[in-house]
Amino acid sequence: MTAAVLTTGDPSGSPEHAPAGAPAQAGSRLRGLRRLPLTVWLSIAVLLLVLAFSLAPGLFTSADPAVGVPDRKFTPPGWQYLLGTDHLGRDLLSRIIHGSASSMTSALIAVAIGVLVGGAIGLVAGYAGGWADAVLGRLVDVLLAIPSFLLAVVVVTALGYDTRNAAIATGVSAVAVFARLMRAEVLRVRTSVFIEAARLNGGSDAYILIRHVLPNAVRPVLSLAVLQFGLAILTIAGLAFLGYGDPPPASDWGLLVADGREHLLHAPWLVIAPGLVIAIVVLSVSRLSRFIDTERNR
Amino acid sequence: MIALKRVGQAVLVIALAYVLVFLVLAAIPGDPVSAQLENPQAGYSEAEKAQIRSFYGLDKPVLVQLLISIGNALRGDLGISLSTSAPVSSTIGEAIPSTLALAATALVFALLIALILGFASQSLGEGRLGGLVRSLPTVFLSTPNFLIGLVLIQVFAVQLGAFSIIDPETAGSTAFAALTLAIPVSAQIAQVFITALDTTTALDHTEVALSRGLAPVRVFARHLLRPSLLPTVTVCGLVVGELLGGSLITETIFGRAGIGTVVQKAVTSQDVPVLQAAVVLSAAVFVGVNLVIDLVLPLLDPRLRAPREAS
Repeated sequence: MTAAVLTTGDPSGSPEHAPAGAPAQAGSRLRGLRRLPLTVWLSIAVLLLVLAFSLAPGLFTSADPAVGVPDRKFTPPGWQYLLGTDHLGRDLLSRIIHGSASSMTSALIAVAIGVLVGGAIGLVAGYAGGWADAVLGRLVDVLLAIPSFLLAVVVVTALGYDTRNAAIATGVSAVAVFARLMRAEVLRVRTSVFIEAARLNGGSDAYILIRHVLPNAVRPVLSLAVLQFGLAILTIAGLAFLGYGDPPPASDWGLLVADGREHLLHAPWLVIAPGLVIAIVVLSVSRLSRFIDTERNR
Repeated sequence: MIALKRVGQAVLVIALAYVLVFLVLAAIPGDPVSAQLENPQAGYSEAEKAQIRSFYGLDKPVLVQLLISIGNALRGDLGISLSTSAPVSSTIGEAIPSTLALAATALVFALLIALILGFASQSLGEGRLGGLVRSLPTVFLSTPNFLIGLVLIQVFAVQLGAFSIIDPETAGSTAFAALTLAIPVSAQIAQVFITALDTTTALDHTEVALSRGLAPVRVFARHLLRPSLLPTVTVCGLVVGELLGGSLITETIFGRAGIGTVVQKAVTSQDVPVLQAAVVLSAAVFVGVNLVIDLVLPLLDPRLRAPREAS
């Protein structure tokens, strides 16, 4: 409660103070950077590594993810193959590294859809009020009522099975939470004194929305976006696991686990390694999101 | 009056969910009936094709199909499966007990895990162990539930022989499937529970209770638990969505014949009526449970009761 009061009363909320307040904030953020907790550093390192995997997979592995050595099949993890090989003798580590780009891009697409569509709905509903709020509010209620994984499954069924569509479906399933948060933030900001001042100065609705309401509502939405990025990785992996993403020989992380499932009894590393990669990446994203959240409330 | 309005809103949301799911699924390019009919080897005449299509109502415009479907649903007729030709209501009905057993067991497990984490978070303090306990919910939430399920099968069914993977409906198999489903759900409950406990611990009455020399377990049970239950019960309603959505993957992994498996088969065979019914049923359960919780909460907590003159 105190946090909310402090943010509304924050002088940087006023348009005159905003430019002067910004550099000071950036300065304190830089100073804060030096005493980041160890777990936050680890999380950043993990995410940078995965980013590098996605951009330049060839730098990290020379093995071809799609071509295997048949008489090397089901090699357990060891020096030659760090994470072992699958039923066709393909290097699992190479498949995971080459699957990063697709898994990361999908999660980014999903979050982008959630932020943009959900944000727009929340912005309009919160600012316009009245009929627009009532209609959009019902739409959000309905989207929230359908369990999000089922909603994603329904949407990907309608769009057709591939990884891009799974990403879009995941984004659609996240629209409602962004819309709800954005609406709440807009309602909080809308009644502030500086919005009233801007309106008395003759600012148009569109100008006030973009120049004053949006910048003040955007930080909590970004913090949710980071959290949702992790959840999107999980949802997309779940969809890929059920076979609603690209078919093999694609190597999305969820698909790797699904492929490995048939060999669980004699080659458990085929399930455990890609599963743990998903868990570690999502854990890093969650840690960052929680850190951003506590910093914001400080 | 307020209760009636809430019920009305819930019914409206379920009805709109029906329409939304119908319209989204109408975008599917093909359907199993047409695929079967257009198969040249099946050798249907044009007249037979038209007759079969009109039997399934596939010859009408989408909006007319929607109105017919809503009318039938109101009379309790959910249509006929496009892939098995069985009534949708019986397909769904047969799957409900399995999912209900799974979800209920999972909820009990999740509450137990959350209770243990909550107690540990308050009694271990700020040290390394306490920090570990507090970070467990994030770890649970970040682990894909298919990984949890497959590891449980590998360790407990294959290596230790604690349960059989051949017969998924035994108590042992149900328990491990429920544990798979419970772990991410317990994390969501525990996060809210621990936050609420922290708030309550900071209150004076807790300090008084501790200074009277009461044992920590007793303080937890008598003084911390009840004030912290309110947000916890609310989040229990929200996790119903996770229980239903998560059952899709859990049932697939453990080979259970529940709603999740019905959904998965319906998706694979593009069986729109079954998918429609299963998804809307899940939404209805979610909305219904949360409605009940909303209405019951004031009974649990006198602070929420509306002043008499307002009602």
